[in-house]
Amino acid sequence: MERRNTEVLIIGGGVIGASIGYYAAKSGIEVTIIDKGDIACGTSSRCDGNILAIDKEPGFDSQMSLESQKLVKQLSKELDLEFEYRAPGSILVCESEEEMIAAQSWVDRQKKAGLSFKMLDRSDIKQESPYFADDLLGGLECETDSTINPYLFTYSLFHGAIHYGAKVKLRCEVKGMRRNSETGLFHVNTDQGSIIAKKVVNAGGVWAPYIGNMLDLNIPIKPRKGHIIVASRNMPVGMRKVMEFGYLMSKFGKERTVDEETDKYGVALVFEPTESQNFLIGSSREFVGFNTKVDLDVVNCIARRTIRFYPKIADFLLIRTYAGLRPWTPDHLPIVSPVEQIPNYYIAAGHEGDGISLAAITGKLMTELLQEKSETIIPTHPIRFSRFQNVSTIQT
Amino acid sequence: MSDRKIIICRCEEVTLDQLVDTAESYRCSSRELKLRTRAGMGQCAGRTCRALVDEIVQKYTNEPTPHDIPLGYQAPIRPITFSLMGEKDHD
Repeated sequence: MERRNTEVLIIGGGVIGASIGYYAAKSGIEVTIIDKGDIACGTSSRCDGNILAIDKEPGFDSQMSLESQKLVKQLSKELDLEFEYRAPGSILVCESEEEMIAAQSWVDRQKKAGLSFKMLDRSDIKQESPYFADDLLGGLECETDSTINPYLFTYSLFHGAIHYGAKVKLRCEVKGMRRNSETGLFHVNTDQGSIIAKKVVNAGGVWAPYIGNMLDLNIPIKPRKGHIIVASRNMPVGMRKVMEFGYLMSKFGKERTVDEETDKYGVALVFEPTESQNFLIGSSREFVGFNTKVDLDVVNCIARRTIRFYPKIADFLLIRTYAGLRPWTPDHLPIVSPVEQIPNYYIAAGHEGDGISLAAITGKLMTELLQEKSETIIPTHPIRFSRFQNVSTIQT
Repeated sequence: MSDRKIIICRCEEVTLDQLVDTAESYRCSSRELKLRTRAGMGQCAGRTCRALVDEIVQKYTNEPTPHDIPLGYQAPIRPITFSLMGEKDHD
């Protein structure tokens, strides 16, 4: 007879698996989290750390972030380990009249959706940071945006999950999987032996398609590489997250008026002050497979972009660079969903650059899905897996 | 001053005490110890403390060596200004 080892097996020990593990264990579900490496050893430690609404499409997308912001604020109080939570808001800066017009319409749409957005003029920008280039025209602000340390957040969620009884197995790689059609139980083969689970949550991030493939699922997630520069401690440049408006264009794959290299590497300025008083500079977006090696041509391009927006940073020292892989989906929304054709199989992956932003809401929602609640914290329709499956798409 | 107050990571001012406590609590890899304490994440990129951090992990977690997830090396080799990094032809 088969003996079940765990009710829910979460595959993936990044921020998404951690959050699902925390909320599920807290609600009394028996969970085991496994990862082929360490906690937060992939995308969750090769990213920056924000809970942003500013860069989300107005509507479902931004509401999802807003709910996540509320949950993270709550988590900052209820979790034992601190994760450098702050809520200073964030801003986008514009370098052309066209961007200012687009920014105004972005603000109007967000305000209509009930979010706390406002336009900033040239003097507001100067007040924000004396380091900004003189020719920047203005920008916009989202007041509620918050920031955290992504790997400390993941560690903290794990710590909380373990407190509520979650089991964790690290350096435990999934080698294969089958579902017993009689008992409905999942048999998951790992390099630490077999695990039998009633339910499986695939939180594998960029590796989710590999895990899905073991049960013949085609999960349309691709790795989209990004680079980050760590600058040394120096004079305070700014107190909150800054992005160039072109970041939105780059994120959503729209046309920008920038030089060829900037366009090719998807480079858009992102500035993020950290609690350790240095700051992070991004960003780039490329489809180059599973390669996390730092490409110095891309870093050069990001450095130039930094100087364009902050000319006086030219003399600052950069001490480190790293690259990570965002789990991209074709419509830029994650998959947080049961899989119709495989009962008790769930996917929580494909958050692209929003994994940190959406981890809390994903954990909460997935817990509600595991409990088969009829009402959920956010609508599940836009992030269901079946939207990528032709047959189901025709039905809806 | 107790010996355990000695600073192991000069850039981030991380003491032996902090490192040993963290290694014992979480029985973690060097990489996790680095991320949890910031040892090795400063200006010198672990030039001084890298070997000590590895040693602490071995001693206090009883992990066999070499462990699966060692500390990585990230470019640049030494700190460099944004303007120098941003120059188009510097090879």
